[in-house]
Amino acid sequence: MRTVKSITPIRKPWAGTMTARERFNRQMHYRSVDRCFNMEFGYWNENFTQWPLFYENGITNNEEADVFFSFDRIAVIGGVDWMCPPFEAKEIGRHDGKIVLINADGLMAEVLASGRDTIPHYLKSSVTTPEDWKRVKEEHFDRNSPERKLDIAALKALHPEDRDYPLGVSCGSMIGKIRDMLTFEGLAYACYDYPDMVEDMVETCCVLVEDSLDQLLGNFTFDYASGWEDICFKNGPIVSVPFFRDVVMPRYKRIRKKLDQYGIDLWYTDCDGDVRPILPYLLEGGINCLFPYEVNSCAHPGELLDQYEGQLRIMGGVDKMQLGAGKEAIKAYLESLEKYVARGGYIPFCDHRCPPNVDPDDYLYYLDLKERMFGMKA
Amino acid sequence: MIFDDISEKLQAGRARDVKALVQQAIDEGISAQDILEKGLVPGMNVIGEKFKNNEVFVPEVLVAARAMNQGAQLLKPLLAAEGVKASGKVCIGTVQGDLHDIGKNLVKMMMEGKGLEVIDLGTDVSPETFVETAKNEGCQIIACSALLTTTMGVMGEVVKKAEEAGIRDKVRIMVGGAPVTEEFCRKIGADAYTSDAASAADKALEFCTELAG
Repeated sequence: MRTVKSITPIRKPWAGTMTARERFNRQMHYRSVDRCFNMEFGYWNENFTQWPLFYENGITNNEEADVFFSFDRIAVIGGVDWMCPPFEAKEIGRHDGKIVLINADGLMAEVLASGRDTIPHYLKSSVTTPEDWKRVKEEHFDRNSPERKLDIAALKALHPEDRDYPLGVSCGSMIGKIRDMLTFEGLAYACYDYPDMVEDMVETCCVLVEDSLDQLLGNFTFDYASGWEDICFKNGPIVSVPFFRDVVMPRYKRIRKKLDQYGIDLWYTDCDGDVRPILPYLLEGGINCLFPYEVNSCAHPGELLDQYEGQLRIMGGVDKMQLGAGKEAIKAYLESLEKYVARGGYIPFCDHRCPPNVDPDDYLYYLDLKERMFGMKA
Repeated sequence: MIFDDISEKLQAGRARDVKALVQQAIDEGISAQDILEKGLVPGMNVIGEKFKNNEVFVPEVLVAARAMNQGAQLLKPLLAAEGVKASGKVCIGTVQGDLHDIGKNLVKMMMEGKGLEVIDLGTDVSPETFVETAKNEGCQIIACSALLTTTMGVMGEVVKKAEEAGIRDKVRIMVGGAPVTEEFCRKIGADAYTSDAASAADKALEFCTELAG
């Protein structure tokens, strides 16, 4: 939802002759556009306190930054397709500059007391055995929970049918959230020790997403579907490829079937890291777009767009390392993307949240250059 | 042959079977050193090679390492009694400001799979702690991990602190993690960057052999 705070944009919207919705749909379907869709994925929390560009202008979060930079609007809505209710998140102790907490997924974790951005250090899951899962499933995954019923009228008021921006429907997560619940190591061990339990978890996720889609799909004309997994890192997937192929991918196919009934052909998933070993199964399951496609731990986006030309779309793929390496590097990198933007099915933006080590002046140079290269030509 | 059985079960991640086979080998009077060097380590070497070649991925490495650990626990007191020393000593940690430990844990497991003794300093480790541990424990290797572009700079501090402490010529400093590159390694004056955990273990063993010679 857009913020109500009054923000004076630092940049004008890119000139254009199409609505953001029309542009997005045409660009992601390889059709001609007035100019490239203009968006970014966002920034680390530290950027809002460290970049004068943000703190001197009162910009405190990613939604405000989107308005500040006048990016094209894009939105997504979804159902309650995970724990309901979640675990009660609470702090349970402090030591050596760290806070130990129980998070909403029931994980005991450590975070830095300084508030500095880092991925939490997970210590212990609430689920390690089938008995644990049985209990947690009963307490937190009841598909008939009244809280799972969506207020469709309120959502329609927020996103009217005649909107001028693309609206997506969330297809949740089939395995990423399970990893969050079990921990990375816990999921790996559980797949070997209790494969039936893990498959039941995946099935539970799938059913909850299907229930959400059943409430949403008939009530909106969606432009795309989204998802989140985060199940790869620089050395490939964190689930075994056979497990992904045999247990996860068939559930994607079920979701894809529902999307097809409503004409939604574009489906991205947020999966960082080296996705290549599982990419054929993402495509087979019906996921045909990667977002916000991370370069450094995988490959230049052009490599995959060439290999899977016409099948795979990418959003993201501007190497954050190059953004941090100065103007010359930024220019060279954007030039390497030109042919893919021209081809369609690709929207360039920083390949995850932009980190604070990027010089704000270089970031503005990047936005300016992106507009000159991919904006509407005079 | 029991060594082949141990190796195969280890590769399949069958921890209970590995433990049982190692116990059987001990009961048959086979030396702990032979069980380690002819059964467990070759099994981890196969997994390491497959990992480097993208034939298996992290989950397979994790369960194999867990199986290795089950067997190694049984051997530990026997190896000490036999006077068998580790091939080298490593202190490893995730650098200050960074709590991410998946990569670090993997490297640790792979190094142990090579018969190296590994002191795990955990996460959010200061440069001083790396250097003091290496000095006090007689480590040949300091291995630093970082996930974040904002914390990888701490690795340069580790190199500086090692120089200041006068141990730079006695230790090899290895760096790794998602944002780390060969170029970065050279820039900060570290000794080695490796792109995956199995290569890190190979490199560490190579350094330890070189320093021992």
